[in-house]
Amino acid sequence: MIWKTWKKGFDAWEASTAKYAEEVLRSSAVLWPAGKMLTATMKTRAAVDDAAAKWWASMGLSTRRDQERTLHALNQLQSRILDLEERLEDATRAPKN
Amino acid sequence: MIRRLLNLGRRAARGRPDVGITPADVVHRENKWCLLRYRPDQSVEPLDAPPVLLVPSLINRHYVLDLMPGKSFVEYLVDQGHDVYIIDWGTPGPEDRYLTFDDFTYRYLGRAVRKVARASKTGTIHLLGYCLGGTMTTIYAALHPEHIASMVTLAAPVSFHDDGLLSTWSRSPGISVDALVDGTGNVPWPLMQVGFHLLRPTMNLSKAVYALDRAWDDEFLDGFFALETWSNDNVSFPGEAFRKYIRELYQENRLIKGTFSVAGQPVRLGNLHIPLMAVAFEHDNIVPAESVAAIMDHADPELTTLKTLRGGHVGAVVSRRASTTLWPELSQWFQEAS
Repeated sequence: MIWKTWKKGFDAWEASTAKYAEEVLRSSAVLWPAGKMLTATMKTRAAVDDAAAKWWASMGLSTRRDQERTLHALNQLQSRILDLEERLEDATRAPKN
Repeated sequence: MIRRLLNLGRRAARGRPDVGITPADVVHRENKWCLLRYRPDQSVEPLDAPPVLLVPSLINRHYVLDLMPGKSFVEYLVDQGHDVYIIDWGTPGPEDRYLTFDDFTYRYLGRAVRKVARASKTGTIHLLGYCLGGTMTTIYAALHPEHIASMVTLAAPVSFHDDGLLSTWSRSPGISVDALVDGTGNVPWPLMQVGFHLLRPTMNLSKAVYALDRAWDDEFLDGFFALETWSNDNVSFPGEAFRKYIRELYQENRLIKGTFSVAGQPVRLGNLHIPLMAVAFEHDNIVPAESVAAIMDHADPELTTLKTLRGGHVGAVVSRRASTTLWPELSQWFQEAS
């Protein structure tokens, strides 16, 4: 009985709080500064990564980006080979004249 | 109350439940994604119908459609005699930040469709896309409908300018998608998880209270923990794909305007002349129903059906109610559209 009464109260509180939170999170007074802060953090992170990569590259070493690009190129190559295999399979399946 | 707490504690002590355990074989693997084919149930007569390819979202694990025995859409379809395939998108590595939306929607999805169609007696397949997976299948089907016997989209947005919070946030002028992608590479799942939690900040507390309220029910607790396992097991969004998805779909709403293109080809929703069922959920706060329903204004009206069901984005697909209403209806749809 106590639990049921408490839960009713909780459900009412939850519904009204969620509605209020949605209004707050929709407001440009909250969104704009939050977005700006996130953007500034990301720009800083990108700049730090960039500076670290330049320092690394200045020693003649391959950077993380270099390695990522190489791996990506290998994956793309695998996909191209699979494209060609599909074409070959289609060509061998096609009825011969 | 003490009994409930003890039961909840006992269940929690058993650890993570087994999820996604319907037996399947990998029939294709490329980069991080793979195509799985579920093993048929030998005791069930196979249906004389094209195979079904399930396409989940890029940012969630595929096993939401195969949660656990008795709560698995996949298991249900296999038990009905369908030949079922699913795409497991895998976990992107740092190098996958360069994968584009076109790579996923055109190259990878296209390959999966063709692979399954080759294994089909009729050369055609039924396609089902869930959430972002549904948006991707819609785009692909508008470009290449030739292998598709029918398509179902579950909570798949096609119009992105709606009243939902995600739409509002993504169009907020303070946020720069470029800065986000350049700063993170793959957009990290914890960041997206925070975003999803903020859609209803009281949700976690509410779920805990709900679990306590039903803690006497072992079956409920098994399902609850399985769903919690899934909802906390997310993947990051490959950076370049995220950039195009947010900029061209969420911000510019290009798909519905007819100005979206993939692999250099314009995507016209008016080219969808296949049997299509779009399913929207009334209480979906991730993909509002109107965002799904917008497809009705563009796809062939004689072949397109819109269903709006009760429930939320995930619950409506994996709930006990879904197993007696939505799943049988979808199985029937696949048989009739064959």
